[in-house]
Amino acid sequence: MPGGTGERPSDAELLRRHVAGDSEAFGELFRRHRDRLWAVALRTVCDPDEAADALQDAMVSAFRRAADFRGESAVTTWLHRIVVNAALDRLRRKAVRPAVSALDEQTFEALVAHGADPARATDTRLDVDAALRILPPQQRAALVLVDMLGYSVNDAAVILDTSIGTVKSRCARARARLLPHVAHLRDDAARNRSASQSVSPAQGGDA
Amino acid sequence: MRRQMAHPDSDVLAEYRAGLISGRRGAGIAAHLSACDHCAAVGGQLAEISVLLAAAPVPAMPDSVARRLDTVLAAEAAERNDAERAGAQASRERAAHPRRARRGGRRLVTVRVLAPAAALVALAAVGLELSHIGGPANSGTASSAAGRAAAPSAAASGASLGPSAARLGLSSNGSESHALPLLGPSLTYKFYNSPTNYQRSTLRAQIERAVRAPAGPAESPSAQIKGCVSRVTRGAGLGTPALVEKARFDGQPAIVIVATRDGSYTVWVTGPGCSAAGDTVLATQSGISAP
Repeated sequence: MPGGTGERPSDAELLRRHVAGDSEAFGELFRRHRDRLWAVALRTVCDPDEAADALQDAMVSAFRRAADFRGESAVTTWLHRIVVNAALDRLRRKAVRPAVSALDEQTFEALVAHGADPARATDTRLDVDAALRILPPQQRAALVLVDMLGYSVNDAAVILDTSIGTVKSRCARARARLLPHVAHLRDDAARNRSASQSVSPAQGGDA
Repeated sequence: MRRQMAHPDSDVLAEYRAGLISGRRGAGIAAHLSACDHCAAVGGQLAEISVLLAAAPVPAMPDSVARRLDTVLAAEAAERNDAERAGAQASRERAAHPRRARRGGRRLVTVRVLAPAAALVALAAVGLELSHIGGPANSGTASSAAGRAAAPSAAASGASLGPSAARLGLSSNGSESHALPLLGPSLTYKFYNSPTNYQRSTLRAQIERAVRAPAGPAESPSAQIKGCVSRVTRGAGLGTPALVEKARFDGQPAIVIVATRDGSYTVWVTGPGCSAAGDTVLATQSGISAP
């Protein structure tokens, strides 16, 4: 039998065990990928509370729909797809209410000014977050997957359930939209680099 | 040579860079870029944006979120086990999963894994009984917990949600400890099938009455109820569940969740379908004074 003691089961094996009734397999699968799934949710909805809610919706849905997984993509792609959909659903529902997801430029500038403390990595991260917030959700989701998390355009198209051309187009328009803020992003990256160097000199640079 | 075209706007340059513009139009842009420093610089900045975004650190999942998700997934697993135990489902499950027999062993593993969480929770629950809930001691809580503990698989599912939810509340107070004694599985709130018909206009007074006088013998909440309570209270982050009732609200079936925080009560009324996966909050009220 595969997955004997000491051998790390594959994602697909964990999912198969889950469908077969193993009550721990799904939890293990989730823990294996949770930081990446969290990053996708957080970057897509730009709000930690909303991200946690979206991720919860997504994982409950994945737990229940696991039997529908047919293996036409990697398990991680399937999980990402469910998370992105849950995140976009949240944004859609939120957009109906007055507190809209996309910030106006003025709020963005205020956030950038607020996050200008070079000593704290959490503050510098606000700049990227704030920049992402000015993007429409669909463009943001594409850009997060391709530019931030390093997915191929093909994988991103599967995750977003759209065509490769649409992914490219959304990414292109998102980059163009961020163009006026490239200086902020550059400063942000420089601060992050110096912050990570001061924490761990051995790992400095681009690693 | 072709005539000098006007500066393409940044959308067009970005699309060109993404390979979306080819043919004669693409060639025109390429020619323009080679002759125009301004547009070449814009192109460089577009490339730089991708590089800068890739360099942004990937945030790790906060511990509080990780615990909450573990709780919810454990609740899902418990709910699934509950469903499997239900008679009607059992035969269908057996047909679909002939390897069911193997799962008995796995359930025992689950019990062991969850035991530390159960210990934390049980202690949290006891503390809350003393400090917040007060009132007449209700033996229903303890006996229903013991009833669930009688079957090993029931203990696993009983321990996996309510307790973990309380664990969240405990750790948010900064008093998490790994050296607590095992007190056994315990429910963290009282659950009743209540005859009360709560009304929107009198909800506050009705809740004040309900937390003083139990609606009858406490019962064991289903996994669905547990999931609902965990979801609505954000894994006890919005308040520690004290009382949950399956009741009516303005004449319709509803779930009433009362949680305590900083010495006062908050109530949420949800539709009857509320679970870990979704809720419809029909009414909520906070700042209800404790007796």
